[in-house]
Amino acid sequence: MKHLQLNHISKTFPGVKALSDVTLSIHAGEIHALCGENGAGKSTLMNILAGNLQPDEGTIVLDQLTQIIRSPQNAFALGISIVYQHLSLIDSLNVAENVFANDHPVNKFGIIQFGKLYEKTSLLLQRLKLDQITPNTLVSSLSPAQKQMVEIAKALSQKPAILILDEPTASLTDKETRTLFEILQKLKKEGVAIIYISHRLDELFILADCISILKDGKYQGTFLKQNLTKASLIKLMVGREINSLKSESYRQIEILLSVKNLSGQKFHNVSFNLHRGEILGLSGLVGAGRTEIARAIFGADKIESGDVVLNNVVLNTNHPFDTISKGMAYVPEERKSLGLFSEMSVQDNITVTHNNLTSHIYNATEAAQRSVELKDKLKIATTNVQQKVVNLSGGNQQKVVLAKWLLTNPEVFIVDEPTHGIDVGAKFEIYELLKSLASQGKGIIMISSDMPELLGLCDRILVIKKGTLAGELSSAEATEEKLLTLSTY
Amino acid sequence: MLSKILQERIYSLAILLIVVTIVASVIFPNTFPTFENLSQILLNLSTDTIVAVGMMILLISGVFDLSVGSVVAFAGCLTAYVLHFLNLPVPVAVTIGILASVFIGWINGYLIAYQNINPMIQTLAMLGIVRGLALLASGSAIQNLPYWFNAISQSKLLGVQMPVWYMLLTIILFTFLVNKTIFFRRYYYIGGNEKAADLSGIRVKKMKVIAFMLSAGLAGVAGVLLSSRLGAALPTMGRGLELRVITAAILGGASLSGGSGKIPGALLGALFMALIANIMVISRVSGYWQEIILGIILIGTLWADKVLQKRFSKI
Repeated sequence: MKHLQLNHISKTFPGVKALSDVTLSIHAGEIHALCGENGAGKSTLMNILAGNLQPDEGTIVLDQLTQIIRSPQNAFALGISIVYQHLSLIDSLNVAENVFANDHPVNKFGIIQFGKLYEKTSLLLQRLKLDQITPNTLVSSLSPAQKQMVEIAKALSQKPAILILDEPTASLTDKETRTLFEILQKLKKEGVAIIYISHRLDELFILADCISILKDGKYQGTFLKQNLTKASLIKLMVGREINSLKSESYRQIEILLSVKNLSGQKFHNVSFNLHRGEILGLSGLVGAGRTEIARAIFGADKIESGDVVLNNVVLNTNHPFDTISKGMAYVPEERKSLGLFSEMSVQDNITVTHNNLTSHIYNATEAAQRSVELKDKLKIATTNVQQKVVNLSGGNQQKVVLAKWLLTNPEVFIVDEPTHGIDVGAKFEIYELLKSLASQGKGIIMISSDMPELLGLCDRILVIKKGTLAGELSSAEATEEKLLTLSTY
Repeated sequence: MLSKILQERIYSLAILLIVVTIVASVIFPNTFPTFENLSQILLNLSTDTIVAVGMMILLISGVFDLSVGSVVAFAGCLTAYVLHFLNLPVPVAVTIGILASVFIGWINGYLIAYQNINPMIQTLAMLGIVRGLALLASGSAIQNLPYWFNAISQSKLLGVQMPVWYMLLTIILFTFLVNKTIFFRRYYYIGGNEKAADLSGIRVKKMKVIAFMLSAGLAGVAGVLLSSRLGAALPTMGRGLELRVITAAILGGASLSGGSGKIPGALLGALFMALIANIMVISRVSGYWQEIILGIILIGTLWADKVLQKRFSKI
């Protein structure tokens, strides 16, 4: 294996062009870093190489042979191994059984040879310098970092010609990271082609030979490491035209919500104020703790210490019911699994919270009337409000979730990735809605990985990094470069 | 219009019931459509139906309770024990029997909702425990219960035995509550998407505990009515009832994954099963075949439902 060539790869999801015309060339014996913001198309590209997704256009050429990677098994057979960011190990099995999940050594009768299995696993673990783990350790007893290393062992067990790693160091300590780098350097000398995806730009400059950059699904070029600086790399990652979202600020002087030294399982000592009429952005990498902070404020997760103060009253909450009745609303990131009752009607979805809060007897006429009003106001595209939500498009589903909260008339809106995976038209309608809420004196906390959206809408942006507040930028001083710098450095 | 009716189980089942009744009346004009036979069918299904109402609410919220059959026996036996050995008045004994059942429901609900024990395992274990408690309370049986206790179920109104009226009352009351009160409507949201319900301010865990208490309480009521009707408390009462009741609720439109089902469906499902059984007795089908045919009907109904849903969702 000498050469993996991607030619003009494009992939479109409903409403989003995830990859457009990406051409990449990866050679044996090189560590090739892939860079880009959240949503730039890195994961899509990786899933295409893994056989999980098929490109709409373009070809994959391995050693001058055009290949179609139909399935993950197909990818393995071609020598492509992937270490996923989200772990794919089975907790109830031991390390050896996980490492050789699909490839147990067997004798000629098809009986598993456990001796050989443990021996081979043992060798792999030694190679990764995992002294504390034995092949028969249960995966459920491992730390996240150890699990990540086992995941890498699993990929290596396939003796891959191409090894793809997606954010492998996210859960590793410095020492483990160094071990990993040594192994990768060794594999590189053995002639393995390594594609390395990471947000940690420092790492790339230590490890990689060359760096390719994706931005909004488009290929920005491949550069030798020595021809780049961190600053020039960030510029390439974010340097897009910022659409003219900028609008007037409705921020008032009065403080509406104040979060004081809040700590929870995944975040520590977070403090900030939200003013009336303000749209406050929460930026940061996926997994930095933004969603956890939001859920804690809303009362959905336990707070370990600290206070949430709404209208000068300390909230004492142990369930979202308490915060909702005090005037909070939360639009969760995962619309389908956390926000919607998919098999129920638009009307039932819109009225759930309002009814739960205000009345004892269900009034179907009033519920229908209120939901029709909101359907018209938010331009929810559906034939009637009795339609099941599952039949609506993503954008309209998101409007249903927002409509649910408009009915309870809250003062604080926490919206988590409100425009994720929805089409541009609905996106702008949601922006307009958030602005109009701000103009009525509501406070809005907006979590988003979409930087232009944050820059265009927010009065201030807080950057969260590893569960702590890494910085605060006013709308005037914030740029994508600065946000990315704060969240990664 | 037709597609609407066929998609709503209580309507399609009601139509089927009418058809079966007419056909049976034509084939067996002397034995089937008599007042005695029909009121006997209703009397026989009254216990199952009252328990099925509670089960329907559990199924709507996405859980179920296998211990209700044992609770029926336990409530009857405990009440009889209190009457027979402690000589307490009838209202007190009945209250004790029902409250003890509610307490069993609370244990189930608390362990399932707050300690995350799987509902199947929890209520399966409770099935055995409570059956044992019923045996402890009654031994082989308690007979010679007071007149006023037996009068609860053995008296008649308009020529129909009282349990039938209690059953109808339960159906009407809970149909109203589940359709019209916000409190009971929450169970549809919980069954539809538990996490989203929680984030919408519904206290899911508390609601689940209440559902288990309610269901066990109704099983307790059914147990008291049954032993009053028999004039005795037997520890074997309600054996196998949990599966019949779940079958009735599923026939009546509930789903194991939660979010669907209507209270009248509990009655219609139980009625359908009772009618088929009755017709088989009248036509002298061997008892061995009855269970086989009922099983086939259940599978057939659910399968027909899937086919119809698919067809109409295409239109």
